Amino acid sequence: MFKKILFATTASPSCDHAARVAFDMAKRYGSELTVFHVLGIPSRGFSQFVKDVRTGETVSYNDDYLEWVKEEIKNTYAKQLKMHENCTIEALTGIPHTEILRAARKEDADLIVMGSTTREENEGTYTYRNIAGSTLQTVTKAARCPVLVIGRPAASFWGGFSDIVFGTDFSRAADSAFMFAYKVAKTLGCKLHLFHACDISGVHAGKLLEQYEIEDNLRIAREKIRKMYVPRMKGFDDYEIDVWEGIPYVEIVKYTRERSADLIVMAHHTREPSPEKALLGSTLEQVVLRATCPVASVNRPDKVIDL
Amino acid sequence: MPEGILCNKKMVDTKEQLDALLADAGGAQYYKEMKQLDVDSDALWVTIQKSLKSRLKTWLEICAHCGMCAESCFYYTANNRDPRQVPSYKIQSTLGELVKRKGKVDNTFMQVCMDTAFSKCSCCTRCGVYCPFGIDMGVMFGYLRGLLFSQGFTPWEMKIGTGMHRIYKAQMDVTTEDWLDTCEWMAEEWEEEYPGLKIPVDKENADILYTVNAREPKHYPQDIAEAAVLFHLAGENWTVPSEGWEETSLAMFAGDWAACKMQVENVYAAMDRLKPKRMVVTECGHAYRATVIEGPYWAGLKSGQPPVESFHYVEWVAEALRTGKLKIDPSKKIKEPVTYQDSCNYIRNAGLADIPREIMSYIAEDFREMTPNREHNFCCGGGGGLNGIGRYREARNIGMKVKRDQILATGAKLVIAPCHNCWDAIRDMEEIYHMGIKWSFLKPILIKMVEVPEHLKPRDEG
Ligand code: SF4
Ligand code: SF4
Ligand code: SF4
Repeated sequence: MFKKILFATTASPSCDHAARVAFDMAKRYGSELTVFHVLGIPSRGFSQFVKDVRTGETVSYNDDYLEWVKEEIKNTYAKQLKMHENCTIEALTGIPHTEILRAARKEDADLIVMGSTTREENEGTYTYRNIAGSTLQTVTKAARCPVLVIGRPAASFWGGFSDIVFGTDFSRAADSAFMFAYKVAKTLGCKLHLFHACDISGVHAGKLLEQYEIEDNLRIAREKIRKMYVPRMKGFDDYEIDVWEGIPYVEIVKYTRERSADLIVMAHHTREPSPEKALLGSTLEQVVLRATCPVASVNRPDKVIDL
Repeated sequence: MPEGILCNKKMVDTKEQLDALLADAGGAQYYKEMKQLDVDSDALWVTIQKSLKSRLKTWLEICAHCGMCAESCFYYTANNRDPRQVPSYKIQSTLGELVKRKGKVDNTFMQVCMDTAFSKCSCCTRCGVYCPFGIDMGVMFGYLRGLLFSQGFTPWEMKIGTGMHRIYKAQMDVTTEDWLDTCEWMAEEWEEEYPGLKIPVDKENADILYTVNAREPKHYPQDIAEAAVLFHLAGENWTVPSEGWEETSLAMFAGDWAACKMQVENVYAAMDRLKPKRMVVTECGHAYRATVIEGPYWAGLKSGQPPVESFHYVEWVAEALRTGKLKIDPSKKIKEPVTYQDSCNYIRNAGLADIPREIMSYIAEDFREMTPNREHNFCCGGGGGLNGIGRYREARNIGMKVKRDQILATGAKLVIAPCHNCWDAIRDMEEIYHMGIKWSFLKPILIKMVEVPEHLKPRDEG
């Protein structure tokens, strides 16, 4: 199911939880794992100096430095590496999101695993998040394969997935997310929760909804889920449908906690091309920041079709 | 005649040589060896006699030491009017001496020349506009850099840069395969949002042959995608060449004239092979200068013109907006105060001053000129290769103060800079001086505001 996993890491403590999930998954599903680190940002045109991703310092980049960084990564993940040997370590310089996407494409990865610093946890401030808008933002939006984001300490991976929440906004991108959620649930024998949150924050509509309108919307959404997704789950019946009202990201997180689910699957669907504005703006990113389980972002069908 | 392993008079023509240079952290060994490097005075004098043409000779002789060029140089004003930063002094004390002494100079002198040529002059050619005799230090220092290079006295990064051109025909180690792969990748990635988007490679007789700066495939591939989107929306019949796609020339900054010739001939070969109607260069200043202005002379083209009529990106944008190939959604025009960085390399070298103003009139509501501007604009501080050279970073940072103050005086919050070097320099400026500004190329700004024709829109969702 996950033949090739690309674990994109800053190799700083902010990625520790993501590392645990990446190694655990690779071991459990017998995947080839690439630990991928973009160590520095070459911001000076053709200059041979790079800005170290972890410290923000300018360093002179060469093979020795590269080897040293790889050695560091090996030490950081020494324990995990002992448990899982089918693993390659790669480090290079570049703009992080560009290189992560390039590597995923080149290696034909089935899954990218990434960490994300939460707001409270500011270690490694000069992490991927700060660079060129947001690495997370760009990777989740553009990646051809699903991207699994691990945001919080509690979001670790103990014994595989058992309950999966698929949060839909009924967009085309959400279609791919559904296929992924469904296939993972089916293959790994999980329960699938098909969930939609009707947005009643009023921000978008510019008006407050009457109670009967809300109830109408809930009914319509439920119907939509039944029509759009249920017929495609041939023979699979371990699912439930739920529609709540509220602010979507809050509801998804609440719902997930209530169902003790261990994976959320969503599309990172935004038309806002400016990473600055969209930074932490999308529902997905809010969910990533708050969820206590890994969040898979799936935008495209490519890697999902042959799962 | 001791020559170092890394610092020597040899050209970097093999990957082994290049790797050895790259492995030398910060050029430590390179600069150590430079201190031992012998000057071949005879060879130097022969070169000078052969190459110092009457124009430069006359310039050296007729300088009246009137000092009128002093204020024109941003390095002079940024360094508290240090007399050692007066353009005429800078050139007379280096190239002038070299010629006077018929090449009989020592290692220390050559290093002083190198330091001056690369840390006190960005070859912005502004002083030439103010000298009553039209004496242009940008051109003179370019020539001096060439002499220095032939003797092995060139900054470490420059030696690497020319090596890249010689080996990869690009300023960075981007192979043909990398290039093609990046084009394919970008078309795939953006195709969903822009159905039918293609990056056509090696299409013959296209209306436009588009060429780039190697930094784009290497680090900023979205730049290629953005160009593709705009050509696509404008309905252009365009293509990129599989070989000869790289326009820049670090070799020009270094004064490695043989590599300049190799590099530009590679682009011209693509023109000959694909026979496009015209060529458009990406948003880069020195690339344009190297390929369109200087290139024909390096390649020995009698006409003084590239084989195919060639344009800077701003020219294409202005035309597309003027003719309505690209339509701006008026509600999406830039509202905040915005200013424009005139890139020396296509302002003073090609007179493209009106074009950007025309563009700004279409896209900005509150456009503010820097003072001075157009042909009189100051260098961003990062020209002439100064952005990339570690040894002179401090000097460059001081030089950037002039542009910083120019920008701040406009009150603009956004600087549009259709030049990779200027873009980099302004970014660095913001990092060093915390001015609270943003900076951008034209492409991403245009993409946000152009109307997508109905038939090119993605099909509706949900
Ligand atoms: S070319 Fe520019 S940097 Fe050089 S001396 Fe003249 S004004 Fe100064
Ligand atoms: S303005 Fe011209 S003539 Fe006067 S000092 Fe400068 S270079 Fe010489
Ligand atoms: S970097 Fe920009 S401003 Fe500076 S010399 Fe080059 S084109 Fe001019």
